[in-house]
Amino acid sequence: MPSALAPLPDDIPLTRITCTINGEQVVADAPVDCTLLTFLRDIVGLTGTKGACLEGECGSCTVLIDGKPVTSCLMLAGQVNGRTITTVEGLADGDALDVIQEKFVETGAAQCGYCTPGLIMSARALLNDNPSISESELLTALEGNICRCTGYASIVEAVRRAHRELKS
Amino acid sequence: MTPQSTKTDAPRTPEVTIPPADHLVGKNCKRVDGREKVTGLAMYGADLFPQAADLFAKVVRSEEAHADIVKIDTSAALAVGGVLGVYTHADVGGTNIHGLIRRDHPALAEKRVRYRGDAIAVVVAESERSAEAARDRVHVEYSPLPVVATMEEALSDGAPRLYPEGNIMGDKRIRRGDVDAALAAAHCVVTDTFHTQTVDHAFLDVEAGTGIWDGHTLTLNAPGQWVHEERRLIALALGIPVEQVRIIQPVTGGAFGGREDISIQIYLGLAALKHPGKTIGLRYDRAESMRARHKRHALKIEYTLAADREGTLTAARITVHSDEGAYASTGIAVMRKAASHATGPYRVPAIEVDVYGVHTNNNPTGAMRGFGACQMAIAYEGMMDRLADALEMDRVALRKRNMIVPGDPVTTGQRIDNASVHECLDAALAKFNERPYPGNDGLPPHLRRGWGMSAICFGLGYGDGFPDCSRARVEINPDGGATVYTGGVEVGQGLLNTMMQIAGEELGLPFEKMHVVAADTELTDESGSSSATRQTYFTGNAVRIAASELREQILDVAGKWLNVHPHEVTLQQGWAFETANDANRVSMARLYDEGLARGYSFKATGLFKPRTVPEVHGTGQSPRAFITYLFGAHVSQVLVDIETGEVKVERHIAAHDVGKAINPQSVEGQIVGGVAQGLGMALMEEVVYKKGRILNAGFTDYIIPTIKDLPPVEAIIIEHDDPGGPFGAHGVGEPPLIGAVPAILSAIYDATGVAPDTLPVTPERMWRLLRMRDGVPVPV
Repeated sequence: MPSALAPLPDDIPLTRITCTINGEQVVADAPVDCTLLTFLRDIVGLTGTKGACLEGECGSCTVLIDGKPVTSCLMLAGQVNGRTITTVEGLADGDALDVIQEKFVETGAAQCGYCTPGLIMSARALLNDNPSISESELLTALEGNICRCTGYASIVEAVRRAHRELKS
Repeated sequence: MTPQSTKTDAPRTPEVTIPPADHLVGKNCKRVDGREKVTGLAMYGADLFPQAADLFAKVVRSEEAHADIVKIDTSAALAVGGVLGVYTHADVGGTNIHGLIRRDHPALAEKRVRYRGDAIAVVVAESERSAEAARDRVHVEYSPLPVVATMEEALSDGAPRLYPEGNIMGDKRIRRGDVDAALAAAHCVVTDTFHTQTVDHAFLDVEAGTGIWDGHTLTLNAPGQWVHEERRLIALALGIPVEQVRIIQPVTGGAFGGREDISIQIYLGLAALKHPGKTIGLRYDRAESMRARHKRHALKIEYTLAADREGTLTAARITVHSDEGAYASTGIAVMRKAASHATGPYRVPAIEVDVYGVHTNNNPTGAMRGFGACQMAIAYEGMMDRLADALEMDRVALRKRNMIVPGDPVTTGQRIDNASVHECLDAALAKFNERPYPGNDGLPPHLRRGWGMSAICFGLGYGDGFPDCSRARVEINPDGGATVYTGGVEVGQGLLNTMMQIAGEELGLPFEKMHVVAADTELTDESGSSSATRQTYFTGNAVRIAASELREQILDVAGKWLNVHPHEVTLQQGWAFETANDANRVSMARLYDEGLARGYSFKATGLFKPRTVPEVHGTGQSPRAFITYLFGAHVSQVLVDIETGEVKVERHIAAHDVGKAINPQSVEGQIVGGVAQGLGMALMEEVVYKKGRILNAGFTDYIIPTIKDLPPVEAIIIEHDDPGGPFGAHGVGEPPLIGAVPAILSAIYDATGVAPDTLPVTPERMWRLLRMRDGVPVPV
């Protein structure tokens, strides 16, 4: 048997979470040890946010809390009570893609696509805050997001193009 | 129905203009799956869960790297609330064995565990939490056996025998010419030993999926790389007819060879068979994914290379030992690939290669991008640099003197007609020289700059006489568009677009009218694995064959409709028209009705199955070991911090002959992405074991390149039509990684005068090498 045993299911009490996700108020119960990532995916049913390393290294699970990017695998659901969360599902306006999403499609920045939602959210936070960004600010903003397929060139190009379009 | 009767009610002169021809081959059509991937709507294996799963499964894995199982006590696990069953090998109805080449890997261990990821039991519960709690409470009593942790231990006198036949899994040899005589006569002989490391695929989308048994069909939504082979393996292991297994590939987040071996499929299937009518969900986390999955082979390569006074290669003697881990996986194929690529794109008249696979109690090692070929490129390119130094010759000149030209043989004796390695190297060097090389002038004393290169070749497809084929079906739809059905698996590389573009080109349809259905064993025919850089060439050919037969059907019907000979019909942008008079035209949608009325199916299938010739046992020689060869060359520029040992890649140029880029954006994506993985392998990635336990089973300690580790990679696409490929294309998946690693090592050698022989070149390793270079004591 492994040295640390997973807790028995009945040992974990539930807690009530109230927050705003993509503009809609959500009220749901979650186990007290539930991460924000698990809350979003398994309880709210928003599976656009991905889990990959589950230890805050790869950025796949990035969402915005009150406009700031966070790795949702490292936050407990209870920490978002009363706060506003944006996930990748909240970016497009109906059929109209967000400019970052559009540029990701245009440059082929989504290959396997698993890192894509997290990268788009990191880029969204960067461009929300900064009307004018340098190349090094761009790279620093995306440094916490790992992509295993693209070698990043198409991603950098997508964010550059989105930035140019937003500025003009 | 006569042609006249249908013709009268259709307009002969539509108002719209036919758009100009728009060739889909060579066009950057936006990825068909792009929109769903950027909006988060794409459904990967783990996304099928929360909504679909009724029950949840978890896998109990061995805590020992080598042990006999004395007893499996499931009572505490069954007592956990919500647990419905705990299943062991005794509950498996079939052979309980899987394995891609040798069936040697028990799905659930019976008497013995051979690595610390071996599966022992499957737990099924009403919630994932219950399943996890129960998994940790299955008590397995072991009788530990000595752990064979390294190849050296496995080969030492008195080593424990991991299998009755011993610890050598197999061997592979190349014999050509008289190596002894050539070495004796050589002007210059260089020898070195290379150690390549164990590498993890680290695709982001960990193994996850769902399964259901409805009493007749076992349906699994699970990511793999060859759905039809997985179906066979699952059916055998679980003891149900293969026709009763259906595999549907969900959207899949990367593979790189890491999904070739069976992962969750048999466990999902077992759980589903035990709970009919219930959808079972199973997902790993990162740690389990790394602990369970096969890895890239760590190789020890002893290389001797000889040349005459002018630098013409005369002989190579190479001995390779390969850490095969606990089970065979695709190891036999990897050994063979290493042997057949041992001397790369160079003319070597006398060659001796001996490759030995060595079992240990580490994870099984198997497929990963460029397997075998990538490790050998590190060695043969490393040796070219060492030889250039020994001969006091220019590195480029030495390479160019010995690189094959069309008609020359490679390691297997196969003569290569499309050898374009000279052009690849010239293109990479020309690109490099477009900007002045900054050199070391003006650098602070702790920084040293250098540049290096690599030239590589790669045999595409399985080769060696192994049956290798793809099938495809293409159908015209009622709206005049077309759908491609392929068993090929999209894992992110862009297979869907490639197949749509090939069929659309052949049929004169716009991309928007093309559809694709892929990797569903119920709806698509077998197309082999998404591996060996084979899908563009193999399935691309099958799609083109099907589409060209379909084109003939369309031309027949269009000829009747337009009242011209079929040879006078042009298909363009969804229209068929008389080539000399485009006012005489008909839309594909209208033709569809007409064709059906005339009894045409407007469906066609394609089979592409070229034959290779098995390599002769003992000599490894074959006139056609591989169906075709690919070439590439890289130039890399690095900056080494000689105080910290840190290596920064400043520039990297990758030139690859891809035959024809069906979708240049995808091809470039493969090149740049391959360089990134190569950079990881060169500088940072290594699975570290201690007595069979992985010490870095997570991204905190298993380091892969971030956006700041990569320079802007300069990709050069070279296009020489491959006579056997669809529209001249061959493929690009693996070569970019193969070329990247040796170019970076070559640049480090140039910068420091130290030639690294052990991978990865971490700062610590580099720092130690530099201290040894300077004769400074190195702490242990």
